[in-house]
This record gives sequence, C-alpha cells and structure tokens, in this order.
Amino acid sequence: MKRKFTKLSVLTFLCFFFINAAFAQDIIVKGTVTDGQDKTTIPSVSIKVKGTTRGTQTDANGKFALSVPANGILVFTYIGYNAQEIPVNNQTTINVTLASSSQTLEQVVVVGYGTQRKIDVTGSVASLKGDDISKQASQNPVSALQGKVAGVSITNNGTPGSAPQITIRGTGTIYGGTGVLYVVDGVWYDDITFLNPADIANISILKDASSQSIYGVRAANGVVLVTTVRGKQGDATINYNGYVGIQRVTNAVKMTNASEYAQLVNEAYAISNAAPLFANTDLGEGTDWYKQIMRTAMVTNHQVSINGATEKSSYNFSLGYLNQDGIIERNSYKRYTARLSNDYQVFKSLKIGYNVTGSSSKSNNPPATIYRALYTAAPVVPVFNADGSYGDPSDLTLGNGANVNPQVTLDFNNSQTTKNKVTGNIYAELKFAKHFTFKTSAGGDFGQEERRDYIPEYEATSGQNSNISKLVIGRTETRNWILENTLTYDNKWNDHSLTILAGQTARRDKSYIITGTAFNVPYNTEGDLYLKLGNADGRLIEDSGSINTANSYFGRVNYAFSNKYLLNASLRADAASQFFGGGDLWGYFPSIGAGWVISNEEFMKNQNIFSNLKLRGSWGKVGNANVPINPTTAVVNQSAALIAFYNNIAQTGASITTIVPPALFWERSVGTDIGLEMAFLANKLTIETDYYNRKTEQAIFNIPILGSLGTSDSRLLGNQADFRNRGFELMATWSDKTAGGLTYSISGNIGMNTNKVLNVTSGSNAIDAGGDGLNNAVVPTRTVAGSPIGSFYGYVVTGIIQTAEEAAASGMAGARAGDFKYADLNGDGTVDAKDKTIIGNPNPKYSYGINTNFAYKNFDLTLDIQGVADVDVFNANLGNRLGNENYTKDFFDNRWTGAGTSNTYPSASLAGGNNNQTNTFYVESGAYIRLRNVQLGYNLPESLVSKWKMKKLRVFANAQNALNFFGYKGFSPEVGGVPTRTGVDINVYPLFATYNLGVNLTF
Amino acid sequence: MKTYKNITLQRWCIIGLFATSIIASSCKKSFLDVDPQGQQAAVDFWKTQEDATKGVNAIYANLRTWENLAFPALVIESTGSDEADKGSTPTDATFFNLYDTFGVTSSEGSLNSFWTGQYRNINLCNQVLDNIPAITMDETLKARYIGEAKFVRAYSYFRLVRAYGDVPLRLKIPVDASEYNIPRTDKAAVYAQIEKDLTDAAAVLPQSYGSADLGRATKGAALGMHAKVAMYQKKWADVLSLTNEVIGLGYSLFPDYEKGFRTQNENNVESLFEVQCSILDGNADASNSQYSQVQGVPGEAAGGWGFNTPSEALVAAFETGDPRKDATILFKGETSPQGDFIKLSVPNLGYNQKSYVPFSLYVSSFNQGAQQNFRVLRFADVLLMNAEAANETGNAALALTSLNKVRARARGGLTGILPDVTTTDQTALRTAIWKERQVELAMESDRYFDVIRQGRGLEVFGPKGWKANKNEVWPVPQQEIDLSGGLLTQNPGY
Repeated sequence: MKRKFTKLSVLTFLCFFFINAAFAQDIIVKGTVTDGQDKTTIPSVSIKVKGTTRGTQTDANGKFALSVPANGILVFTYIGYNAQEIPVNNQTTINVTLASSSQTLEQVVVVGYGTQRKIDVTGSVASLKGDDISKQASQNPVSALQGKVAGVSITNNGTPGSAPQITIRGTGTIYGGTGVLYVVDGVWYDDITFLNPADIANISILKDASSQSIYGVRAANGVVLVTTVRGKQGDATINYNGYVGIQRVTNAVKMTNASEYAQLVNEAYAISNAAPLFANTDLGEGTDWYKQIMRTAMVTNHQVSINGATEKSSYNFSLGYLNQDGIIERNSYKRYTARLSNDYQVFKSLKIGYNVTGSSSKSNNPPATIYRALYTAAPVVPVFNADGSYGDPSDLTLGNGANVNPQVTLDFNNSQTTKNKVTGNIYAELKFAKHFTFKTSAGGDFGQEERRDYIPEYEATSGQNSNISKLVIGRTETRNWILENTLTYDNKWNDHSLTILAGQTARRDKSYIITGTAFNVPYNTEGDLYLKLGNADGRLIEDSGSINTANSYFGRVNYAFSNKYLLNASLRADAASQFFGGGDLWGYFPSIGAGWVISNEEFMKNQNIFSNLKLRGSWGKVGNANVPINPTTAVVNQSAALIAFYNNIAQTGASITTIVPPALFWERSVGTDIGLEMAFLANKLTIETDYYNRKTEQAIFNIPILGSLGTSDSRLLGNQADFRNRGFELMATWSDKTAGGLTYSISGNIGMNTNKVLNVTSGSNAIDAGGDGLNNAVVPTRTVAGSPIGSFYGYVVTGIIQTAEEAAASGMAGARAGDFKYADLNGDGTVDAKDKTIIGNPNPKYSYGINTNFAYKNFDLTLDIQGVADVDVFNANLGNRLGNENYTKDFFDNRWTGAGTSNTYPSASLAGGNNNQTNTFYVESGAYIRLRNVQLGYNLPESLVSKWKMKKLRVFANAQNALNFFGYKGFSPEVGGVPTRTGVDINVYPLFATYNLGVNLTF
Repeated sequence: MKTYKNITLQRWCIIGLFATSIIASSCKKSFLDVDPQGQQAAVDFWKTQEDATKGVNAIYANLRTWENLAFPALVIESTGSDEADKGSTPTDATFFNLYDTFGVTSSEGSLNSFWTGQYRNINLCNQVLDNIPAITMDETLKARYIGEAKFVRAYSYFRLVRAYGDVPLRLKIPVDASEYNIPRTDKAAVYAQIEKDLTDAAAVLPQSYGSADLGRATKGAALGMHAKVAMYQKKWADVLSLTNEVIGLGYSLFPDYEKGFRTQNENNVESLFEVQCSILDGNADASNSQYSQVQGVPGEAAGGWGFNTPSEALVAAFETGDPRKDATILFKGETSPQGDFIKLSVPNLGYNQKSYVPFSLYVSSFNQGAQQNFRVLRFADVLLMNAEAANETGNAALALTSLNKVRARARGGLTGILPDVTTTDQTALRTAIWKERQVELAMESDRYFDVIRQGRGLEVFGPKGWKANKNEVWPVPQQEIDLSGGLLTQNPGY
C-alpha cells in the first residue's frame, strides 16, 4: 500500500516536472511568514506558484522552502488572513507578513447560495465562527447563539435533546411552522438538533428580508446558514474535544410544607363554607416533591475529528458522543453523530464532493405530566407509607387537582424515543469559460423516529393504577430531497465587480407516521415490548402522512463599483403544492439593496477617525409556505370519534366536518433595513447598527368562526391579517491588545423590537383567542388588531376585596371577601367579560448580550452575559387549579387572611369564585439577566505538549447559567411557546446551571 | 495520450452534469399537484350507499361527545336544578357554581361548548339531509336515513331552544360565506321546525330494528320526542295523542327500576331513545363518552370525578320507602347492588347512580364508564307526559292510570309504599304528576327545564338565585355574539 502511494507521488512529481519544464529556470526560495499584528510566525500557510498547482506549506515555525520559476509569483493564503501575492523576481529569501483579515475588507461572509465580502453585503447578515459556538460547551448548536447576535432571541427548553426556539427580529407569523429555515451545506432543515456543535465551521444568520428573499418559499421566519468543518490544507490533524459536567436546578421555587398547605386548604374550604379538611394542621414539613424527584444530572460529551487536505482533495471525519441526564430522575439522552465530508478536485475545472451526517439518539423520556405533578402534589402526602406502599392522596380526600403521587408517575413511566437520521448532499462544481461556475447539488434527508410508551399493569394508589398493560409504538419516517442547480458569472474589470447568479430548486418533503397499540403486553425484559405479545383483540393501527413539493427559480445580481458603490438585486419565484388548485400557485419574491462605502471615498482618505464607514439600505419580500398540506381541499373526516355503536357493535362513521377556504394566497413579509457600519481606531472599535421594518402581509392562519356552523374545530383557514415588527439593533465590539500581552475583545449587542397586529379580517374581534388558560377554557391570550401577537388578555386587578360589604358593592357576580377586585373598565356597574383588556405583552422588547474574550499568555477567558427586558410572562401555574393543588411559599406568606391583611394577594381560595379568571395578578415581568457562559481555558506550554507529540492541549472549566437574576415567581422566565401562547408558563422545564470541565486536544 | 483521454472524460462529465440538472429541473406541473395523503377528498364522498351509511353513523357517534354528555351538558341541563349540586371538592371546577347559583355571564366557556356541540350534531344531520337525496341507493333505506337525521336534528334544536330561546336555525349546509352569519330565529319558529322534523321522522322510521341496528332512532322515539316538544309548548291535545300513539306501540316499563340503568339492560323494553356508548377494544377515541366518568365516584380508579351530585333536596323528595331513592343515589358508605363499597372519605353525600358503571367493568386507559348509554327518553316519561296531558285536558281517569303505572313499577313488588294516587282534583293531580316526574326522572337531566316549563322556576330555584324573566334561558355565548359582529342578540338580563 505504502509502496503504491510512493509510486503515485513519483509519477505525479514527474508529471509536474514535465509540465513545468516549459517555464523559466527554477530557483529555491526560502522565507518565514509572520502575523502582521503580533509578529508571531504562522504555521501551515499555503504557498502556491500562481497559475500552477505547485506549492507547499509553512512548517511549525512558519518557515518554508520551495522551488519556483525565477519570474513566478507566489501566493500566500491562510484562513483569517488576507492573501498576498509576491513576485519572486530572482529573490531567494522572501519574508512575508500577513495581515489578519478579521476586520478588513476581505472578510468573507456566507450568504444565500454563495459567499460575499462583508464589505459588499447590503443586507443584514450576522456571522459566527465555529469557535464561538464550540466554546460554550452547549449540547445544541442553536442554544449557543443566545445573546450573540442582536435581534436573534433563543428560548431554551431544558429537556435533553429538545430543540430551542429561535426568533429572528420578532414574531412575524402565527400559524404553521414559525421556525427558521436552517440550510446546512445546501440542504434544508426545520431543526438541527442532529448536528454536533463541534462540526460547525460557520453560522450565518440572514436577518433582513433582502438577504432572506433568495430563499423565498420558507424564509419568512428567517434563515440560518450552517457551514460545516472541511479539511484544511496540510497533514492530517486529529482533534479531540470533550467535557464532563453536572447540571443542577437553580432558582427553584419554594412550595409550602405540609403544615402550611393544610392551613391553606382549610382556609379555602372555610371560604366555600365547607368544614375543614384537616383537623390538625400541625403536620411538619411533609414531602418536598421537587427534592424527591429531581437530581443533579451528569453530562458527558466527546468528539473526535480527523481532517486534512491535499491539493486534490480534502477530507473531514468526525465522531461525536453526548450523554446528558435530565434533572428528573431516570430522564436521559444519548446522541451519537458521525460526519464525513470529502472534496475532490477532479480536474482543474471540476470539483466534486459530498457531506454525509449520520445521527442517532435515544431518549428515556420523562413522564409528560411530571412537571405539573411536582408543582401540584400535596406535601401532606408521603412518598411511601410506613408499610412501603405509595402514599395515596385519596386517603386524604384531596380531590381531583392533587390526586397524584409524582413518585408513582415516575416509577411507572416507560417512554423512549429513538431518532436516526442520515442526511447530506453530493455536489459538483464546474468552472468554465473563465467567469462561469455551474454547481449542481442533490441533498437528501432520511429520518426515522420511534417512540415507545409502555404502561404496565400496576396498582399504586386509587388514582394511579392500571388493570391492563398497554404498549404504544409510533414510528415516523421522513424522506426529503432537494435538488439545486446554480450558474454563477463572476467578473472583475477595472473598478467594476459583477456577480450574476441564476438558479433552480426542486424539493419534496414526505413523511409517514404509523402508530400501533396493543394491550396486555407482558414485561419481563425490554425484549417483551412487541405489539404481537399483546392481546389479539383491541389492537389498533393508525397512520397518516404528508407530501409537500416546491419548485423554484431564482436569480441575483451583485454589482460593486470601485469598492464604494454597491448594488444587489434578486428575484425568486416559488410554486408550492400547498397553493396548488386554489389561490396563486406562484409567489414572486424580489429584493434590492444598495450600499455606499463612504470610507473609500477620496474625501475620506485624509481622515483617521473611521477605518470603515458604510451606509446600506435594502428592501425585500419573503414568503411562508409553512401552512397545512392541501389547505383548500375539503376532506372527509373518518375519525374514531365518528364510529357509531349499534348493539355495542362498532360501525365506521364519516362526514364532512370542516370548512376550507376557496383560495389561499402566499403569506408575504416585506422588509426594509437601513444599516450603518463603522470601524474606528484601526478597526479596534466596530459598530454596526440597523433599523428595520418588516410587515407580514395576508398572514395565513385559522380564525374562529361561528360555532353555529357546526364544524369540528370552529375555525377557518385563510389570509387573515397583517403584522408588523419594527426595531433597532446595535452591535459594538472593542478588540485590542495591551502592551502587557493581554488580548481581549468586548462586544455588546442589543435588539429592540415592537410587534403589532395591524389589521385583521375579523375587525375588532380577536383573530385568535387561544391557548391554555387557567382552567375552564378561560383563555389568557388575544391576537387582535392594534396589539402585539398573543397579548395576555384579562381583568385588571385593583386590589383585594376586604369585606362582605365590599364584595356586594363590587359589581362582580359571586364575589367574596378575599377575592380579587377587578376594574369595571367600561363603567357599567358590573364586572363581566366586557371589562377584560390587554394586560401584558409576551414579546420581549429588548434582548441583549455582552460577550467578552480575554487571552493572556496561555490563559483564555470567555464571559457572556445575556438577557431580555420589557417582557411579560403569564404565571399560569399559580391559578391553573382544579382544587387542592399545592401553593407556593410566596403565596402562603403574602395571602389575604382577613380584612386588612393584603391588598395584593387573594385568599387561599385561589381556584374559587372569580379568582381563576385571567388577570393582572398572574402577569409578571419576564425580564432576566444572566451569566450565560463563563469559560476559563489554559493552553499547556508548547514545549511540554510537543514532547507528548501533540500540537495543542487546552483544558477548560465552564459554567452555563451560573447566575440568573429575575423577579419572576416561577421556575424560569424563559417560557417560549407558539406565537399565540408565548410566555404562558404552565410547568416549564426548571432552569438549571451546568458546570463542565473539558479538554481540547490536537495531534 | 493521457491528456487527450482526460479531456474526453472531462467533456463527458460536463455533458453528464448538465444533462442531469436539466432532467431534474424539467419539472412538470404535476409535480406540484399532490393528492391529500391518507384523506379522502370531500368531492369523492356522498356517492354511494356506503357513504350515506357512514354519514348517518357519524350523527349517532357525535351524540357521545363531551359537549353532548359531560360538563357542558350537565351545567346547562342539570346543575342549576334543585336535584343536583356541583359535587367534587369545594375548590374543584368552581365554574359549576356559576350555574348552580345563577351567577353565570355570557363569556363562561361551557355556554359556548354546549351551543357548538349541538350545532355539530346539526351539521352532521344537514350533511346527510343535503347530500343523500342525490345518491342512487335503496330508496327505503334512504328515506329511513333521512328520518334518522331529522330526528337527531330535532333533538339538538330542542336542546338549543330550551337552553337559549331563539337560536339561529340552520337547515342546510352553507354554500358560501354569505350564508355563514345568520340571525336568531324566533323560538316559536324553531319549535315549529322541530315538530315538522319529528313528524317527518315518525312517518318513515320503523317501530323497531334488528339487533344489528339496535339503538337507531325509531318511530316511537320520534313520537315520544314530539310529545315532549309539544309539552314544552303546552299543546296538551297533541301531547295526549302523541303519547297515546307511543303507548300503542307496545312499550312497557322495565320491571326492576335499578337494573334498568345497568349496561346489560340498555335498549330495554322501556327505552325510546338512548345515546349509544360502548368500549371498543383498543380504541379509546371511539370509546369517548365521559358521561359516567364526570359523575363517577371520586377517589376510585374505576370511579370518576364526582360532579353533578344528588342534593339534600333530592334525598328529601322521595317518599318514605321509595326504592328509587337508593336506585338513584349511590350514598356515601353504601355498598351498591353490584358490590362496590362507596368510601366514607368521599367529599359528597352521594353520586348519580343512573350513570354508574360497576367498578369491575372498568378498563384502564379508557374513560371510566365509557360504556354507559345515556337514557334520553324512557317510556316512564311518556306515561307521565300522557298523565299530565290527560289531566290538563280534563281526563283525570286516564291521568291516574298512566301515573299509577309508573308508581306501580317503582314499588317493585313491595307493599306499603308508594300508594296509588287517587285524587281527581286537577291542581292536586298536576302537583302529583310533577312530583312523580321529579323522583322518577331524577338525575336524568330532565328536572331543570321541566320546572321552568311548569312555570315554577322562581318557586323552586329562587332560593338558589334563579330570577324570573332572566333565568328561563341561559345567555347566548359572548364569543358567538362577537363573531356574528353583533347580529346575534343577547337574552334579556344578561
């Protein structure tokens, strides 16, 4: 094998030799390459003779030697630095200083279907390097973006393996998918949880409509472009990155103990004129259910990658392993990832390559109801009775709200999800006729997901038991493909620079779900969990599926004159199956952008304040095809609920139970962006600000329709409203190096966004009055013209009714002393639904981050702070009661217990009377600020490391969410949710902090 | 040579690339024309007899829903009465109290649920009535199907008109958006339509079905329902003739009052119409009735939630020794005839025994008691309507005969209790018949509107907060008024 390679290289060498024989006499050139700023030598710099394939690299000390034609030109390139060309001119020693490109004109950003110099971009594009992402030791690549980019808010859902929610510049749609479009190496995804963060080289976030519009069909919620790591020129590099850590709940809410709880229940009963439930309320501490069920959880992450490249090919191979335990006992998540990418320069003009990612994960799911159970479980119930049996809430007649022993919920939970995915693309890129590049790419995404839930036969308490076991296995398959062809013309002449792109995309997404249920399945081992081992009768199989197709054409022109005047324009035309046969099949999404690099003007030559000053403006349209499949086709409802029984024999029933719109049109977002980019003091300080105004037109969603139409959901889909998001963003970075050798950068960003529903087809009626409220269908949100999407809606609390006389005079039906006193807003003397109003806004107005990096000698420190402000959370946990659910300690301490005791907190009868109506008491500020990430790293000295045959060895300690400051009285102000019920906190995953120790190793 | 070969290869590669991309991009329009997956298009439905059968099945199935049988139906049709209390623990689902004490306002959620639930029945009926006339099928069956749909439509409008007074009257599926928003139709016109539907239904429906169709609407059901509708309008002559007609059809009273409500005695000789509920193995979605669950004994896995519980007033209403008291109320601390002990720790005095399914029949992961049919109309009710109509039309003898048949069955062979009523004084007899209705039909969601139609709302429910000229009907759901843009009006007093 080795011999063969040698032969091959000899042959290659001979080949080059003959080809090059045609050129001038060769000489040997030697030299050193150094960094222009800190004067250190740079290893692995690629050096090529221009116009040939001849080249070499600098060694570990930045030195090189190369045989070159005496009249040749050497090209020095290295990632992160500006390329330099130096004519040999018979010199035998050439020392080169490379200037870092990080702050210069040459900095390149990834944009839709290509890259652009940062200076040429006329829209708003934020770019993050892989390092910024992997430095956070987060399990999901998207969570690492939190606080990093102005205008991008991330809401984490702590459950291991779950995807965080990402919102770019406010909520612009309220129906269908509200998620952003992720494009990973050209393939489209809704979610990138399958990616290992360490495999990411770059993330670009397209924030404004003009840069998004090249992705028309799915771009309405923003686009995130992910480029994965590829092999770098040079010998094989082996990297190992790993960490272990612990995760523990922070900012836990204190609930009442047994004595306090008993006292509250008795008070509530007294208010309902019922005899006390507890004869004795001196019951001690009782059970702390959170302590019983939660734990400090472990997280382990390993990633090994090997990459390298020769002139003709490059490769990158990585393996990743993540094992994350949940903070609920027995909840765990394991993910394995493997990624391989190869690029081959087949001919000088033709390059082909592929990326493939395999991902497999397995999750032992926590019981879906556990968080609710923990919040509501009564502290008077023991985990176990003295005889070893489970504590039974029914023994204490606690009623429906508190009839759960969470230990039982946990012990008889057996739920598991496995996900497997193979995805990637192959591409070919052909350069021809000097200026043209034709690229074709075929991508596929094949996923399979299996969820298995097993309820054993058990008898734990009167409320929690099962007299027959049940197994449900559901399997989802996705088979998506995308095919793209682009042709690019790229030319520069004199002061002109012109790029023209034309392209075409075809895409098909298919999914199929099948679920089987069987009863009386035995369980001795996991191997018993097959449907066929269950009873023959009572088995149920259900399935459903969907197919979505889209066909698109697009084009773009980028023109720059003299690096001063920039003009970009694009147009995308999309046709999607959702709009077939009703409405307009084709949607057209144009964009235009212009920029003026003022600092490149003659009159700016003599100033030294600005190292860069650029003004840009853009306008664009994007579309949202993330709406139901075949929305204008009425279908037959043949659900199980329509099965009739005659003499107890089931007979299939079916009918038409919906109304569909006759036509549906594309939902469009039209956005304008004006930006100013500035750099001062030789790029030490950079400032980028943007103002944007984005309007969503003819937004698609369901509005409530008359119940008397008798449709099954009382809703009708259509183009129903216009929304607007308007805001301002500022990002400033200071990076410098002190004389003492401290390199640092401090970056701050803030985004301000206001969201408003402009007008709706339903006039003054809410277009959406939905979401889980307290109980009894009391809905806490309204989406109505003139207010932000999903505003909280309810009564305004003016105080607490102190006496029976006051209750009688309150104008509130059934009011009692100790109840909330609601404002009679319309002044008609009675308090009723007409007095409800908008009482809170769940859309954060400000989101900000402060990100810092410090490096001193071998130490590095990263410190990230992040927060949101001017946002409301609806604490539905408190009032969502059926009866004797547990209370918070805060409530116990502050409640009303008689005239004059409180004018803010009501009596213990929180579920009674009018108290469980949505009102301002339950609306709290969701503002928070947190130390999102701290990482201290130490690079072991090179002298030591090289002895161990390593190139680099870094150890680090990292803490995430270690410090959180907020006034909210729930577990976490980070609530999220679909747009019409964002910020409604019904038992979110508790906030936790992570502490890791890790190592980065390079061979 | 090598170079030449390379160039050729290169050319082929290029040609191949272009060819691939062109083939791939020459997408025909059909690429975008995707059929609904796993769903039949509505335009392909209503073509065959089988479609008609399915459409009628859907009507019956929908009568089991939460809105038709559970909380919304209970608060609208039962909890307000003197026979029922809210139930469960004092702090549980306190919105029941708004109906129990008449503090309900128009935005209370169950008002909308009940309203919408009835119109969903009506939509399913209208689908059948609009679509099956054009289907080529067995004409006798078609006529019967139309009769069945009219029966359920009439039943649903009857529930609506009792609950809300004037309501929008939809007799067709709206064809386009201009027909969506319609005003309320006068109560009298709604009643007229109900009577028309029931007359039509009675004309075509069979007296009985074979076992494969047991539970469908019969001629007796249509006549009996018509009698009740007529009674609510005090059309006594009609009530008399309709009930006489039902009596002539051969119904009788089931000998054992208590056992008549157990699952094995569903659709018995006394039954005119029941909502058919069952447990379909493995299919919780089809076994979706919560009628029994929401009223079941709390604190028991096989029990339920314990709402809409019998009141002290109901306990007191039974004559001494009336076996119907024990058959109607599952008292705390008693052992049911099927051997279930009702724990002393339950929060209420007792639970509705007419919705009770013995614990031994419980199947985990299904709603408790999902197999219990809801008795819509029993022959005992027909006899009592007959008695009342006879009394109102001056035929005391017939009134006494019918009334005493009901009392005789209630005695269940015991002596010394429930003596025959003998009075022929019209007022006294009327009172006796009303009293008999209270105990015979207790906890069957009859009492509340029965008292109102007797004109005694204030007398009976006044102490609970009931107000004349207001509480005869519930408020029209605010959401519906808002969605109508104000076309729908609110009832007086709300």
